[in-house]
Amino acid sequence: VSDGIRVAAVDDIPSGEGIAIDKSVTGTADNIALLRDDEGGIWALDDTCTHEEASLADGWIEGGFVECPLHSSKFCLKNGEVDGLPATRNTCPHRVEVRDGEIFLFPNEAP
Amino acid sequence: MSRRVVIAGGGIAGVSTAAALRSGGYGGDITLVDAGEFPYDRPPLSKDFLKGAKGIKAIALQPESWYDDQSIRLVARTSVTALHPDTGTADLSDGTSISADYVVLATGGRPARPPIPGVDSYRVHVIRFAEDADRLRSALVPGARVLVVGAGLIGAEVASTAVGLGCEVLLTDPASPPLAAVLGPAIADWLHGVHASRGVSVLRQGVEGFTEKADGIEARFSDGRTRTVDVVVLGVGLTPETGLAEAARIEVDRGIIVDTGQVTSNPGILAVGDPVRVRRDGTLLPRAGHWEAAQDDGRRAAATILGQDAPAERAPWFWTDRHGLHVEVVGHLGGAATTVLRGQIGEPSFAAFALDREHVVAAVAVNDSTAARAARRMIDRRITVDAEQLADPSTDLRRLLRG
Repeated sequence: VSDGIRVAAVDDIPSGEGIAIDKSVTGTADNIALLRDDEGGIWALDDTCTHEEASLADGWIEGGFVECPLHSSKFCLKNGEVDGLPATRNTCPHRVEVRDGEIFLFPNEAP
Repeated sequence: MSRRVVIAGGGIAGVSTAAALRSGGYGGDITLVDAGEFPYDRPPLSKDFLKGAKGIKAIALQPESWYDDQSIRLVARTSVTALHPDTGTADLSDGTSISADYVVLATGGRPARPPIPGVDSYRVHVIRFAEDADRLRSALVPGARVLVVGAGLIGAEVASTAVGLGCEVLLTDPASPPLAAVLGPAIADWLHGVHASRGVSVLRQGVEGFTEKADGIEARFSDGRTRTVDVVVLGVGLTPETGLAEAARIEVDRGIIVDTGQVTSNPGILAVGDPVRVRRDGTLLPRAGHWEAAQDDGRRAAATILGQDAPAERAPWFWTDRHGLHVEVVGHLGGAATTVLRGQIGEPSFAAFALDREHVVAAVAVNDSTAARAARRMIDRRITVDAEQLADPSTDLRRLLRG
């Protein structure tokens, strides 16, 4: 999959929101959250919060972080690093490319 | 730059203080003294940990390696027994003494046990420490008759967990409904009503006392009626742990009194978390008593010690989980002139915004994390809002923030 997997169009994700791509599509251990920041950047992180069962695709995206919808731990959009309890473990970032408005995901490749 | 900070207590407030000191560049020694095996997170004690879905390691506040990585000396299974402000030392329960430039009291509290007959029975439980939850879990066997006294946050969570474990649960609280002051009466009434629909029996009674019986413990209610159960759980509030502060002649008034930088009446001693009451502009505020408030206290205490600017104030936020409902509250409901509902109470997800003219002052969100997060930013940034737009579930709340 050197060209990546076409998983969505940029227009499928409203600004400041996310969608979860099922692991059956990505072939990864966890679903992958595609997150669109207010500046138009698209980011991909493992979807499940490292603390409890919550989908980061439902999180609040702001200032370069996504905030977990349950207990508000924040994860860096670029590298998945956790910033703030109760989560203590980083989540996994994945590389994405946008070509002609289409989002291509490179699962398990470092961004 | 000071050389050593001793933190008494390893709950979220104490651990956050240590973390914020290091991230703020503190280069001295940080000693964290905690009675437990290692610091753990308390919210799961009434939920996943009580249920048995998570063990103690899974609720550790930090991984084991964190303390070494951050050069934080964790003195576990130990507590601070006395402070000597004149000599700048603290005595520990292991018989040693330690000198410190600053002591941070993160001493938490004890679950309240009202002085009623029979309250010390082994069948009467409380939840504050992991040991409490372990002991209670072993009593919550399927079919066990469980009386939960107090339908506030902890009581409601325990009732929900216990009914999920197959217990026969009776929940009593004289308030009608409980939590009305923080949720507003309409949502509080609905939320309390969910207990009954999930199989919890609900009473509106106080409890006058307990008597051991051959087949259990008999609770006597305010109206004179009695009920025999196997297990009683008290969820009737917290008694702040102020003993160390009082013995050190620090100002205490149903809580350790601190200024807005977390400093007590002794400039070398700070206090954070559940036992703290802030005096702001001459007014003594109530104890906050929530997880994130304790974390923010730790950040402020670290900033004070480091001589840095205090982190920005933000609207308070807490969450609670019961019967599969995730409830979040931001801000303070008191004094709000109008309430705007987004969705209908009882729908799978909805929110209520409390407004003071065109400003949000508080919100309650049920399974609606975006509403809670948006409301919090509306409060913090003093965003002007339109009640009709807020009430319309098709309005993108993020867009209202962009202005």
